[in-house]
Amino acid sequence: MEYDGRLPAEGINTSDEHPLREFALLVGGLVGAAVACIAIAALAIDRLVPLLPPALEARWFGGWLAPDAEAESDPRTASLQTLLDRLARHWSDHPYAFRVAVLDDAEPNAIALPGGGILVTTGLLAQVANENELALVLGHELGHYHGRDHLRGLGRGLATQLVLGALSGGGGEVVAGLAATAGQLAQRGFDRSQESRADAFGLALVHAEYGHVAGAGDFFTRLAESRATGATGRLAGYLATHPLHADRVTALHAEAAARGWASEGPLTPLAIPTPSK
Amino acid sequence: MDPALEALIQLGAPLALLALAFFTGRRAERRHYQSIRARERELCMLPAVTFRQIPSSWGVDGVGLVTGSVVISVDHFKRFLAGLRTLVGGRIKSYETLLDRARREAVLRCKEQARARGYHAVVNLRLETTRIAGKSRKGNATAGVEVLAFGTGLELRRDPR
Repeated sequence: MEYDGRLPAEGINTSDEHPLREFALLVGGLVGAAVACIAIAALAIDRLVPLLPPALEARWFGGWLAPDAEAESDPRTASLQTLLDRLARHWSDHPYAFRVAVLDDAEPNAIALPGGGILVTTGLLAQVANENELALVLGHELGHYHGRDHLRGLGRGLATQLVLGALSGGGGEVVAGLAATAGQLAQRGFDRSQESRADAFGLALVHAEYGHVAGAGDFFTRLAESRATGATGRLAGYLATHPLHADRVTALHAEAAARGWASEGPLTPLAIPTPSK
Repeated sequence: MDPALEALIQLGAPLALLALAFFTGRRAERRHYQSIRARERELCMLPAVTFRQIPSSWGVDGVGLVTGSVVISVDHFKRFLAGLRTLVGGRIKSYETLLDRARREAVLRCKEQARARGYHAVVNLRLETTRIAGKSRKGNATAGVEVLAFGTGLELRRDPR
């Protein structure tokens, strides 16, 4: 019996495939599958949302912004509620019981909650110069209820969380993160058309209330200017939840011109009291 | 800050860690394979076989236990790929090279020990693999593997028969 010292053959117990190729295939495939799942869920939710009766919505989510004593005693809430009620009057037979509350946050923003609750941040109240500007912001949020976008957002968020939660086992956190980012980017176009429709709806309410749309876009112009200092060009605009503010003002003016609404008129001073601290 | 930008920044650190682990792990693997191949050529004429019975024609002067063991760490990139594999199934290729290196290194060390002790061959060679447990949030991560090669070293008579 002869012993011959043959060397081990290579590439049988191991694979020659480059690890980065495997990485790209696995990450790409999983991110793609996750985004596809989220997209299908989002489309399904879009179909289902109009079928949910507002009465049921109020029963499910009404507690999200239940009237409480502290908010009721806030003088800002009462003024905001009056303005909101005046605007909502022009949306006849709306099925919601709209309520508004002030949220203590420096970032200027307004949020439409399921069930008819609207949150307005203190940062936004500090930025608006007159009632007409505030009316467009509130009208915009009413527009979200009109399109029922607030439920779509909630449903999509829920679907995204479910899919990403399923991925985050087995070291999929990075994949889940990538899928979340891709999903957010993909959603932007969708969000932007919703925002534009909500803007047009809000503008119609403002016109119905004041008989003109003067000052309506000024708030966005001011926001755009204040952000320009820290902005990073068009990419930042694309990434933003809301459309580019300059584009938005242009769209508002175009809408007003198309409808023949007066862009000049007396501005109503803001009647929001500053809170006593 | 914008949520998408924020998510990208939050992803930056894990991705950078993956890239670092990829480069360091790949460099270590390439060097290890170079060393393994060179030493396999050097030791190829020292047989290490799995016979349990010593052939009767071999004249044996001495016997003794020889062992070779190696512990190799799993790198973060390999573990990440293996983690994704647990979602979809298939060959965990990133661990195949790791274990291939460990087995060959253990056999080489076994042969090196046999040579150092004056043995001419190793018979009844066996391999054992042990997972070294590491710490993770779930408490069951693999820090690395140990492969142990052991067998019986034989000192053969110069002029048998």
